[in-house]
Amino acid sequence: MPVLAAGPQFLSLPVMGEERITCSGIGKRYGRLWALRNVDLSFQAGEVVMLIGPNASGKTTLIKCLLGLVHPTEGRLTVEGTVIDARGRSPHPAYRSSIGYMPQISQFPPSLTIEQLFAMMADVRGLAPERLDDRLIAELGLDAQLDKRLSALSGGTRQKVSAVLAFRARPSILVMDEPTAGLDPVSAARVLKEAGALRDRGGTVLITSHLMEEVEALADRVAYLEDGRLRFLLPVQAILQRTGAQRLSQGLPRLLEEMNTGRLAQVNP
Amino acid sequence: MGKVYKYTLIDLARNRFVMGYALLLLALSQGLFVLEDDPMKAMLSLVQVVLVLVPLIALIFTVVYLYDIQEFTQLLAVQPIGRKAILAGQLMALATALLLAQGFGLGLPLLVNAPGPSAVVLSLAGSALVLVFAALGALIALRQREKARGVGLALVLWLGFVLVYDAVLMWLMFVTSEYPIEPFVVPLAALNPVDLARIMVMLEIDLAAMMGYSGAVYKSFFGSAAGMAMAAAILSLWVVLPAWGGFRVFGKKDL
Repeated sequence: MPVLAAGPQFLSLPVMGEERITCSGIGKRYGRLWALRNVDLSFQAGEVVMLIGPNASGKTTLIKCLLGLVHPTEGRLTVEGTVIDARGRSPHPAYRSSIGYMPQISQFPPSLTIEQLFAMMADVRGLAPERLDDRLIAELGLDAQLDKRLSALSGGTRQKVSAVLAFRARPSILVMDEPTAGLDPVSAARVLKEAGALRDRGGTVLITSHLMEEVEALADRVAYLEDGRLRFLLPVQAILQRTGAQRLSQGLPRLLEEMNTGRLAQVNP
Repeated sequence: MGKVYKYTLIDLARNRFVMGYALLLLALSQGLFVLEDDPMKAMLSLVQVVLVLVPLIALIFTVVYLYDIQEFTQLLAVQPIGRKAILAGQLMALATALLLAQGFGLGLPLLVNAPGPSAVVLSLAGSALVLVFAALGALIALRQREKARGVGLALVLWLGFVLVYDAVLMWLMFVTSEYPIEPFVVPLAALNPVDLARIMVMLEIDLAAMMGYSGAVYKSFFGSAAGMAMAAAILSLWVVLPAWGGFRVFGKKDL
């Protein structure tokens, strides 16, 4: 359970739902450099967590550990009951059927059409057409471009394709790495709205973004990473209350300043 | 694996480089047959094309393609599908595309202009080289993170197999010319897939006589059914070992 330590006071914060992802002592080392160190946290059903931190703070490494792209050096991850142990064998890939992923860089086989890419990913997931959620295709204006080759698409359109792929299989866990980068404001708002709807249906959404203003309305909790360590994981309301700020983009710098100047003790997850 | 194979092959079938390669081979092959009155002479020139160009294209194209779809491979690795299935699908599609391009650009002109066992052996040797160098290219692309370094390494490897290895072998034969080292040349040549392919084709076209004592040694060793089987087995190892290494690297790799 997350707590905010402020001098002698400890603010206990509510857990929203069942734990869907748990990280216990997760660490990742590249050569001599620890990209992630001793990270303990959990993500619940029915919440949106915003992962933030400076460049090279370990956000992407943490996400990649959750997705199975990066093998942790130490610690243990549990994703919907499937254990990913740094010392154990890789689990059966079936556990990833509940995960949707929208990467920061969307690159696809250039000569395929959008339609072929959608068919390929549905095939790979073993999903019949009736199990797919195709609403976003039309809502993001892709329905008229389905026969276009992926090499002919702009960066923004590729990002829309990526968003459709992330939501299409109706995941219960959605990981979005800078989801609004390259998207026009209308499409970005639509994608974030869809992420909110997924949360409302009991899904778990993890978002990394440098554009805090865009995501703060959606986020329930904020995880802050620095130098590969988790400095805090707090509800947005707790940060606003503690700092007296109206917006997360104002409150976070204040909270960090308090922590850095020692006025606020380290915040423990 | 089949799903990744199917869609990767669709992507590769429309790839301009693969189409260009097929057309280049066709132009070279057909051009040689048109320019040369004797089909056998044209085939001899084609042997050089197969031994030099095919390894280069298979190696570089595999390396570049695997780098270019790295982000997409990451996206695939997040789906409920094993890494082995992803890599197997991609490699088989790459090999199929290159083999089809070669079949169109080289096999077809051979079949039309010089049908016979020599054409079959030349086509088979070319196909084996495609598989060997595609497997080596995959291993390079999976081990080396940076594309520029990967391509550089591939070029060095190609130069090594096509030029340097033979130069070293010839130098060795020259400096030890007073000793009967030809029997040792056979296993040394067999360590280079390009040499192995060359020997197989030369023996079939019956050019071993032009190769002097070395040719006689090759013929006595590889000329028999057992020798050919051994050559095929060694070439197979050149495919299996790098591919196996690639699967091991990909299975443990941080993407």
